[in-house]
Amino acid sequence: MSDLEYPEDLRYTADHEWVREGNEGVVRIGVTAYAQDALGDVVFVNLPTVGDEVAVGDAVGEIESTKSVSDLYAPVAGEVVTVNEALAATPELVNSDPYGEGWMYELRLDVEATTDDLLDAGAYEAQLA
Amino acid sequence: MTFSTPLTSPLHDRHVALGAKLADFGGWDMPIEYTGAGVVAEHTAVREAVGIFDVSHLGKAQVTGRAADGTTAVDFINACLTNDLRRITAGQAQYTLCCTEDGGVVDDLIAYVRADDDVFLIPNAANTAEVVDLLSAAAPAGITIVNQHTRYGIIAVQGPRSEEVLEGLGLPTGHDYMSFVDTTWQGRPVTVCRTGYTGEKGYEIVAGWDETPAVWDALAAAIEPLGGRACGLGARDTLRTEMGYPLHGNDLSPSITPVMAGSSWAVGWDKPSFWGKAALTEERAAKTTRLLRGLRVTGRGIPRPHCSVAVDGVDVGEVTSGTFSPTLKVGIALALLDRSVKVGDEVMIDVRGRDVSAEVVKPPFVTTGVRD
Repeated sequence: MSDLEYPEDLRYTADHEWVREGNEGVVRIGVTAYAQDALGDVVFVNLPTVGDEVAVGDAVGEIESTKSVSDLYAPVAGEVVTVNEALAATPELVNSDPYGEGWMYELRLDVEATTDDLLDAGAYEAQLA
Repeated sequence: MTFSTPLTSPLHDRHVALGAKLADFGGWDMPIEYTGAGVVAEHTAVREAVGIFDVSHLGKAQVTGRAADGTTAVDFINACLTNDLRRITAGQAQYTLCCTEDGGVVDDLIAYVRADDDVFLIPNAANTAEVVDLLSAAAPAGITIVNQHTRYGIIAVQGPRSEEVLEGLGLPTGHDYMSFVDTTWQGRPVTVCRTGYTGEKGYEIVAGWDETPAVWDALAAAIEPLGGRACGLGARDTLRTEMGYPLHGNDLSPSITPVMAGSSWAVGWDKPSFWGKAALTEERAAKTTRLLRGLRVTGRGIPRPHCSVAVDGVDVGEVTSGTFSPTLKVGIALALLDRSVKVGDEVMIDVRGRDVSAEVVKPPFVTTGVRD
């Protein structure tokens, strides 16, 4: 869909997740506009637990729509420091505001972890085509 | 018939123009949901206002004639399918089942009686050819079964405001639940059936294949000021699950009998014969098979088909249909459970390795106005 947006200041994975770099090595993670559109109405989100140590590619949670369920994969290695508690009661935020209120969780990057290998907006959008 | 590529409904170009997400449904490329709405919004439109569904993928077959010994089309169908057509008269419709001799379910379908020698059947899309083949093989000389799958389109108009929509088009309304009226609309023959699969007051309109788009366009215009929506088959599934209506392939199947699925009410037990009578009568008396129950999630999670169900760590059954209830905002399921499990019991559903607690309930999960 041409009306879906992919902000330039985010990094992306081929699994349709975005990563926003924050202060002091903490990154925020969510799913892209493409993902929420493909899933349809999101009705349940199962997030990791604060304190979990995750490696790249680990299945750390689930996102479920009226139609299907998909795993959430860690895009970078680190420790889970915050999860978006609002999604328990209002999972539809993932549809209405995937890059804002619909964020999933935050990781403190491992010492050697980096977001450099992730896709930029142009590369992500190109591989959707 | 063998379909190598998905068939498309006469409304296919309407769905594409509305930005529908399409998926294979029994060999048919049908809308799951529409852009700008989605399953929850479409579901809610039906519960609160009105929705229109393209269900042209459903099968259509006509059974006509009478045999030399006086056996009519009604008599013939009554000796094959489970429900008792003697309970209804011309102008009425009946939910019934086509079983094998071992009691398994080939299909569930609606039979519309026009006259003793004229019965119209609406089976499920994927099972139509098999139902037609079985009936054709059993039919005596003088009784004819014709597969009319692509002769008619079907549009379901469902919801508390469905009557206003039909009235606006000058179509007949107000007839009883499970009855139908043959009429014309702008010179086109249509059948207006007071039937549906949502639990709401509603109608299903059968029109000629090539005339279905004109009916759809008129309905689409009529529902707009009422807060209505075009609805996909995703919403149809959440609506029917909230009602506990079984879906063939999930909750009824060659291995899930009407006795297990709680569909004994759709069996004419005292009829002289119907396919599967001996096996089903024995199963019904034995009272040993699992039974289809409702599960309402009390924990966090959404059950899906084939999730296992346990009580105190002991396996007691399996989910056959499971989804998120847009009305209740929780996971709900239909599950085949051991008879030791009773309504009110707490069970654990294994949802991809996570234990999700649920209460055993008697469907429907919501109260609705199908007979209002």
